[in-house]
Amino acid sequence: MNDVPARVWVTRTVLVGFIVLSLQMTIATEIRVLGVVIQIVLAFAVAAGAASGPGEGAKAGFVLGLMYDLASGLPLGSTAMSMTFGGYAAGWGRQYRLEPTWWMLAALAAIGAAVGEVFVPIIRVLTGETGVFDARIAIVLPVVALSAGILSPVLIPIARWALVIRPAEVRVADADT
Amino acid sequence: MATYSPGRRRVVIALALTSLFLLTLDLRGNQVLDGVRSGFGVVYRPINRAGEVVSAPVVRLWRSFQEFDNLEEENRQLRAEIDAQRSAEISAQNAIIENQDLLALAGLESLASYGSVTGRLVGQSPSNFDQQVEIDRGALHGIRVGMAAINEAGLVGKVTSVAPQSSIIMLVTDPSYAVPVKILASKKEVPVAATSTTVLPVADSDGTAVAANEASGEEATDSIAETTTTVVDIIRETGVLRGQGSDRLPRVSFIASASAFGQIEAGDTVFTAGGSTSLAPPNIPLGRVLNVITRAGTAGQELEIEPTADLDRLQFVRVVLYQPASEVGQ
Repeated sequence: MNDVPARVWVTRTVLVGFIVLSLQMTIATEIRVLGVVIQIVLAFAVAAGAASGPGEGAKAGFVLGLMYDLASGLPLGSTAMSMTFGGYAAGWGRQYRLEPTWWMLAALAAIGAAVGEVFVPIIRVLTGETGVFDARIAIVLPVVALSAGILSPVLIPIARWALVIRPAEVRVADADT
Repeated sequence: MATYSPGRRRVVIALALTSLFLLTLDLRGNQVLDGVRSGFGVVYRPINRAGEVVSAPVVRLWRSFQEFDNLEEENRQLRAEIDAQRSAEISAQNAIIENQDLLALAGLESLASYGSVTGRLVGQSPSNFDQQVEIDRGALHGIRVGMAAINEAGLVGKVTSVAPQSSIIMLVTDPSYAVPVKILASKKEVPVAATSTTVLPVADSDGTAVAANEASGEEATDSIAETTTTVVDIIRETGVLRGQGSDRLPRVSFIASASAFGQIEAGDTVFTAGGSTSLAPPNIPLGRVLNVITRAGTAGQELEIEPTADLDRLQFVRVVLYQPASEVGQ
């Protein structure tokens, strides 16, 4: 992604982001698991991190988070920050393995989603909101993390296309030449 | 293998700082960001509409699957409730008309004095930490930030964000929601230890003053009695209602623990208090007291309120086009 012009991956991420955001606002708000809204946009951001690495995950999370804030009327930057951290956390483990197995990527996505979701109430508290942290987070975090892990096999290939991530063998061949 | 790079840490720090900067600007109010939000809404709306159309069959299927077992039982219960409430409704309608006539005669404002805009729900909050809904009416229809949103059952929330064709409403259960309220207790029978009985007049549904013992067929006299029972007037106490989150009931705080007006009990009704600074007009029904929580020391009482509006099944919401004098003057 580093040698790809920013306008390419930003355009692709925004395009996919619109679709994912639309799914978030329609299906995800209706189909709740244990009363928890599955965070598809966050799942896509952490899938981008798991697929490419911490820097790319953070950038994708930031762009998607801004779109989420703009669409949902939340303070601009609040979700962007939490998804930035989520994407970074998912990509952090990715740098230690060239081509991880699918379940490793799913686990990274789940960890990143949990980190991203836990930052939502933390940022709200920092902005002066009260009563955001309660016992319900004990249900919210596992459901959001698990759903991101389950969705990752579908979202990671899309994230690779959006962020213009080439397969590892191609990158190795390029490095050799 | 990808290697660790200090550049990545710089990237995430730069993005976090940018987010913080945007957050600060937005919370302080910025016209540029408002314009960006509005523009994004214009671009995103058709995509979201398309998403609604595509996802509608899936959502319907899920709802059918989820709600099928409950629907029959709920339908039976609702029919029984409708029968029970039919007669009460006629009396209530009569009382409402009389009340509005009296308010008009006295030159006082009532909910009927204000215009309203009815909107259809087009979205819910995608977050697990907010209780918000989106309606398909906005600034072009006269809606402004802060206006109260109601439905047939009572107060639903307030408008927190307005686009030309849509608005976002924060529900009363949201932790950020707060509104001044008054608690009106129903008429109570209380023991009065006195040598002479004083019977306080209480207005009946016809508006004429009657006494408690008249209801039992006795004349209202200054008879001598050691202990008797009488009917006190309606208790009126004020406080501030705050949302507590989706799975917890809203609470009213700042209630005096030893009220000069009497004791608040479960079942008492809660209405908006209104006032020059309150964003909601007075006398919108909000709910009933479910629990009275007595706290130690000077903390006072807290009341758990069960909202009359079913916030999980909102379909249409009416925005009351009311702005307090303090807002209009600005």
